Amino acid sequence: MKVLRSKKKEFSEMIEKHQAIIHRVTMVYTNGPADREDLFQEICLQLWRSYPNFREEAKFSTWMYRVALNTAISNVRKKNRDIHFEQLLDNDRMETESSDEKEQIQLLYRAISKLNRIDKALILLWLDEKSYDEIASILGISKTNVSVKLVRIKRKLEEMIFTQE
Amino acid sequence: MNDKKLKDMWNKAETLMEASDYKSSSIEQFISGRSNDTTQKIKTMIIFDLVLKAISLCVLAIDFVLYFGTTNVMSVTIAGIVLLLPLIFMQYKMLNRFSEAADNGQNTRDKLAYMLTYLKTKFFTTLLSVSGTYLFGFIAGSLVYFYTAYGYVRPLDGVDFVVFLTFILIGIAFNFFVNQGQVKYHIKHLEICLNDLNDKNLELVSENIELQRKRDRSNKILLALVLVIGILLLVIVFKNIGFIIK
Repeated sequence: MKVLRSKKKEFSEMIEKHQAIIHRVTMVYTNGPADREDLFQEICLQLWRSYPNFREEAKFSTWMYRVALNTAISNVRKKNRDIHFEQLLDNDRMETESSDEKEQIQLLYRAISKLNRIDKALILLWLDEKSYDEIASILGISKTNVSVKLVRIKRKLEEMIFTQE
Repeated sequence: MNDKKLKDMWNKAETLMEASDYKSSSIEQFISGRSNDTTQKIKTMIIFDLVLKAISLCVLAIDFVLYFGTTNVMSVTIAGIVLLLPLIFMQYKMLNRFSEAADNGQNTRDKLAYMLTYLKTKFFTTLLSVSGTYLFGFIAGSLVYFYTAYGYVRPLDGVDFVVFLTFILIGIAFNFFVNQGQVKYHIKHLEICLNDLNDKNLELVSENIELQRKRDRSNKILLALVLVIGILLLVIVFKNIGFIIK
């Protein structure tokens, strides 16, 4: 019991350090603060359950991305509420930004929210500066496929953002 | 818009949304919580059923002791135990396979493909096995009840028999269709995701599924046979006989 408690503590501290990864995933896959918190909790739980299978040969952050994205992609909900950017973005902080920047960020999120779950994962990993090799290893597709898909997704995002502007 | 601009926008948004940082104490609470994931619900269903089967097995063993000397009831309990043992073993193997398929630590393609293959090939067998538990649980429990209430197995009249059997069959059917409905939606979702990942993925997985289905046909036939034998046991216990404890 004591061993389990200390393992949990150690694991929680590791997640605390790397939690930005989970936040990025929840930001892209949810529609508001309540959903975001639910998914955050679910990802933490799945990370803990998969932890015994974690092999040191992979980077901890890569493994975390794998589990977080797999959880978000498989997370089936019948109700798909529309995304509310007022809820998604922290309004107090947003007030300090220029309205132009605010609008651009909202447009980016609106565009990403319209992508399918797999494309969301690809663009998220690319935006987080992951190499094509790493993206391919996390998603289990070829490097060529990653490259082809990213070109298409970026073009799609560009079109969506410019159309809405 | 170039790549740099897109990344700058993303970084800006990230800085703005760093408000809800969790402390390790909160994360510790999260990992002790309950999962709402569909795969986790299926896993819980398999584990719960495994426990129920193990309890039914123990109760049947107790029935064997209680009715020791009454050959017909002893034969029924032995038949129940003999049928339950391989079912428990099979269920345990299914649980292991499901845990492997459900592991989120593998890459996305493998996770989606293994889960889809499991749900399309093994889930029906799992449901059949889960449904069978009702029968064995009912037989084991009823034998204990009759022993404590009457000291022997009271023969049921036609109406009693129809009512009991109807309840059991409704229970089996309800459990079967509710779970199947839930999983159908999940299967559709997995197929869409696999297709989005790569157009050829679904094709390859479908071929694998067909192969697995052919291999699993004998398992399904065996399970269906166990269910039929279980119902026959029920008929033997309650319809034809009135065992008196000597």
